[in-house]
Amino acid sequence: MATADKLIEVRDLKKYYNKGAIKALDGITADVNRGDVAVVIGPSGSGKSTFLRSLNLMEEPTGGSIIFDGVDITKKKVPDANGKLVKLDIDRHRQKMGMVFQHFNLFPHKTIMQNMTLAPVQVRHMPVAQAEEKAYTLLERVGLADRADAYPIQLSGGQKQRIAIVRALMMEPEVMLFDEPTSALDPEMVGEVLDVMKELAHSGMTMVVVTHEMGFAREVGNRVLFMADGRLLEENAPRELFEHPQHPRLKDFLSKVL
Amino acid sequence: MEHFIQAANFAKISDYSRLFWQGAAVTVMLSLCTVVIGFLLALLLATMRLSRVCPLAFLGVDREGKLRDGGVLLAVSRFNPLAFLATAYVEILRSTPVLVQVFIIYYGVFGALVTLPKLTFLGFVKFERFFPGVVALGMNSGAYLCEIIRSGIQSIDGGQTEASRSLGMTQFQTMRFIILPQAIKNILPAIANEFVVIIKESAITYTIGVQDIMSAVNAVRGATFIIIEPLLVATAIYFCLCFPTSKIIAAFERRMSRGDRR
Repeated sequence: MATADKLIEVRDLKKYYNKGAIKALDGITADVNRGDVAVVIGPSGSGKSTFLRSLNLMEEPTGGSIIFDGVDITKKKVPDANGKLVKLDIDRHRQKMGMVFQHFNLFPHKTIMQNMTLAPVQVRHMPVAQAEEKAYTLLERVGLADRADAYPIQLSGGQKQRIAIVRALMMEPEVMLFDEPTSALDPEMVGEVLDVMKELAHSGMTMVVVTHEMGFAREVGNRVLFMADGRLLEENAPRELFEHPQHPRLKDFLSKVL
Repeated sequence: MEHFIQAANFAKISDYSRLFWQGAAVTVMLSLCTVVIGFLLALLLATMRLSRVCPLAFLGVDREGKLRDGGVLLAVSRFNPLAFLATAYVEILRSTPVLVQVFIIYYGVFGALVTLPKLTFLGFVKFERFFPGVVALGMNSGAYLCEIIRSGIQSIDGGQTEASRSLGMTQFQTMRFIILPQAIKNILPAIANEFVVIIKESAITYTIGVQDIMSAVNAVRGATFIIIEPLLVATAIYFCLCFPTSKIIAAFERRMSRGDRR
């Protein structure tokens, strides 16, 4: 990216469990620029998911700050347009951050169409007809328009995850957070989900992706972040990071996964 | 008495069939009112038990704004008065006989504290007895339903809440559109069971003069000195109320679970 237009600024982010005995995040500082496809890799237990889940406060950090779109969302109160301190409305910020989970988390009691239109209609007060039209467009984009009236249980894992992605897109987020989106899939379904993510990346969506798919990181990511033991140990362009790893932990990790 | 059950006795008590019909109507109304009050109360209690209101939370952090490592202050800071009250209510109501509760409400609350107007509706329902009965049974079943609802809510995977909140929906919207519909579906058998229990337990309100099915039995016995046959009629009525109720809810349950099948 030529211009560093910062969308998310993470500063010294900490997440402790058991009064600091376990440091899931031990001071992470990183930026996500608009248009970035930032891929976070690292061994299990390194804090990648905790880091991602902190970005929209699914996990409440113990310390540090996350400035999203100019607002520090870790603060309980933030200044409004007039500079007056008001209570931070996290729901409003979460609307702008789509999230895709390892286990899809589709709503099983609602059809695919209802899964997609619920939040836009309830949160954005979009008319139902308009929301359904939008949903059809997105469903067509991922090749699932014919499943609009199906229930999630009737879909395969790969289909569910594609639905989960477009469900998040319904809110027109500024950034999409992916938490190991292909880890719970059968191997033959990984490709179809990665294809959707690839297309999304090419459309210019800002993405933060926690994944074990090194191929995706190398091919689609424009930055790769390596985490271990709750720290960000190395950060670089994919080619550089994979071909010339500097940190011994990264070298060790890559020797195991590549 | 050479025969345990005598056909002639049924003929004798048939003069009083109106009492049984009215009794059945009272029992049904009593149970419906009870389940509505009980359910609303249970929703409130479950919300209180699951709430995270800690007014003393400020005691748990030290001067620098860091969470304390332990000690009395940290424990006090986690005190949730709403959850405490709801839990106390549930445990007290579940650990005392419903007969005692009905008496306390009727003789205590509505005998000494609140005076109800003497009204008769539908020609046979005495409001000043019916209402305390509904309140007592509703308070009792609220305690049981609270635990059912709470376990139902807690049985829903946390990922559902996360997905909903990540879409920008509020805690209330998440509860209403995502968690409760799924929780209620899961706990429907338990709720049906509780409803059937309420129908049967409502018989106890005859002790405070509510003119339900049992009160009809008693009235017939007083007038004719026949006891077994009216009891058999009462048994038949209770069965006809409870058995279809559980079957209807079972059918409803199948309809609600359409998302579970291929």
